[in-house]
Amino acid sequence: MTAIAEHAPPRAQAVQPQRAMPALLLLPALTWIAVFFLLPLVLMCWRSLAADGYSFKAYWIVFSSPLYTKVMLTTLESASIATVLALLLAYPMAYTLTITRGVWRGLLLMFVFIPYWVDIIVRTFSWLILLGDHGLINGLLRKLGIVHAPLPLLYSEFAVLVGMVQILLPLTIVVLFGAMLRIDRTLISAAKIHGASGWNAFRTVFFPLSLPGVYGAALLVFVLSLGFYVTPALLGSPRQTMVAQTIMVEASELLEWGQASAAGFILLVITTLIAAIYNRYFSLDRLWGGSDA
Amino acid sequence: MDRSADTASGAQIRLRNLYKSYGEVAAVDDVSLDVPAGAFVSLLGPSGSGKTTTLNLIAGFLTPDRGDILIDNRSVADVPPHKRNIGMVFQSYSLFPHMTVADNVGFPLRMRSKLTRDEAKKRIAEMLALVQLSHLQTRYPRQLSGGQQQRVAMARALVSRPRLLLMDEPLGALDKKLREQMQTEIRRIHRSVGTTVVYVTHDQSEALTMSDLVVVMHRARIAQIGPPNALYETPTNAFVADFIGDSNLIDVAIVGVVGDRWTVKAGDGALIHAAPPAFAASAGDHAFLLIRPEDMTVRPLTKSAQETPMQGERIVGILKERSFHGDVFKLSIAVGGDLLKARVAREDGASFEVGQQIVLTWKSAAARLLPASDDVAGGRNAAP
Repeated sequence: MTAIAEHAPPRAQAVQPQRAMPALLLLPALTWIAVFFLLPLVLMCWRSLAADGYSFKAYWIVFSSPLYTKVMLTTLESASIATVLALLLAYPMAYTLTITRGVWRGLLLMFVFIPYWVDIIVRTFSWLILLGDHGLINGLLRKLGIVHAPLPLLYSEFAVLVGMVQILLPLTIVVLFGAMLRIDRTLISAAKIHGASGWNAFRTVFFPLSLPGVYGAALLVFVLSLGFYVTPALLGSPRQTMVAQTIMVEASELLEWGQASAAGFILLVITTLIAAIYNRYFSLDRLWGGSDA
Repeated sequence: MDRSADTASGAQIRLRNLYKSYGEVAAVDDVSLDVPAGAFVSLLGPSGSGKTTTLNLIAGFLTPDRGDILIDNRSVADVPPHKRNIGMVFQSYSLFPHMTVADNVGFPLRMRSKLTRDEAKKRIAEMLALVQLSHLQTRYPRQLSGGQQQRVAMARALVSRPRLLLMDEPLGALDKKLREQMQTEIRRIHRSVGTTVVYVTHDQSEALTMSDLVVVMHRARIAQIGPPNALYETPTNAFVADFIGDSNLIDVAIVGVVGDRWTVKAGDGALIHAAPPAFAASAGDHAFLLIRPEDMTVRPLTKSAQETPMQGERIVGILKERSFHGDVFKLSIAVGGDLLKARVAREDGASFEVGQQIVLTWKSAAARLLPASDDVAGGRNAAP
């Protein structure tokens, strides 16, 4: 007995640090997230309920106000259209990346990433230069005599979508490219040797297998689109106001923190719901390259 | 071998001086091969020997740098893979994960044949019956075991009745028992459909049991072509002798010839008798002497006999290792600088002890001379 008792404690101590290790490694990041993300979130939720006594009044206002309904619908519409456009433009590019090799792939990827590294505000401002009444496009059209008065390109839904899609494209391409790379190329060979032309092999094998990647990219891009602020603010008219702008106005100009918090919280719930539904049917793991199982 | 009625449905394949390189390295170097219609031919060799590249050239996934491929006497140089009318079974099966078993099998029909829906359905059912998977047609590939996926891949490859079936190490991922079962299965299916089969493997026993003709490949070239038993019994070079079956290869110098009896000298000076070589050789040449382990008779050295150490058809050595393999014991016997392999029946194994002196004898017809080339894995037989 004594022998066992003497030997047991050192063993237990030897095991302990190993168990503690993962927790220790996670601690800094967890602390950061807790203090700068979760805590503000809780405060925001609290404020949405407690701004004017304890009630759901702020939520009732948000849900019943025609302004919020309009802004919310505009946001969903813009986000949906931007997502579809980004996917349509990104798919051929991502596919090209998968079939190129070496230097060409590197070059193409660089063209994808360079805009990604440029700040969103800078990229959005550059559209002002391109789309303005005296901008490059209108200037060129007038010089060529195609139009006499400048086209109203800027401060429109068109401008907002152009700006959003341009900002979303690199991410869309990278997510699609990642998903496409994981498609086994010998499946394409198998399709071809069994009679499929290049187009048929793409249509019947590659495309269906790339769909999970498309859904994943759609989710990411759509959720990101919901929170766009700078682009609609700079390129859109008041008609294109998206929910993030309204929250900003409520919070910083009207000081209606309760309503701003409520609207923010609703946006968060919608986003989380979309992610949850996606996860239920397609498994979020795939976005990060996890297995399909 | 009796399928004379079916041979009409197999294609005749001719490879003419095929050459393919990746950068500086030749992957397939001057390969010429005639595959008779309806034959089961294996491309056998270690990894990197060029067998898979040869298969991909036939499939059309790669284009040869030089040379030509003829299927039924028609060059397919300008024919893309999907128009070559070939079936193929891939190493990892490569079943379409988003299609059911029936849709996988029906894929070639949808792509290349003009069958009506009902005819296609009937054909798919026939193929699934052939591979004994009729009950699983609504399953997806991930719901199948490796052996079942293998069968689906076979059915898909054969459903459009191609005249040529390519198989790229199709059994590599299966365990030993299932592999042997599938070998029999593939042979059965081959006999019933009569398609020409080109089968790539690195497993010599697989190639020997399944094929009508074996093509041994080594360093991008063909080392030897022949029926399995011919390759085993009369290899023409040390690589084939070493690669196929167990072998003892002894470095020797040819000393002289008396009638039909060639005398050679091993490294430690012992004189050994050998059968007449099948290649041009004369006294003074270096060569390899091949003796298969099962051609050697072994017994412990008895003190009374006072035998000469190494003479004629007899060598004396020291037993270094004895290992049990079920039906036989395998022995490693040190003779001079070489480590020779021999076998004894299970019931005799007990009378051999490590460290004991052993007498090895054989018939001189079983001692075959092979040209000394750099193609042999030289260190294989060296004693540690």
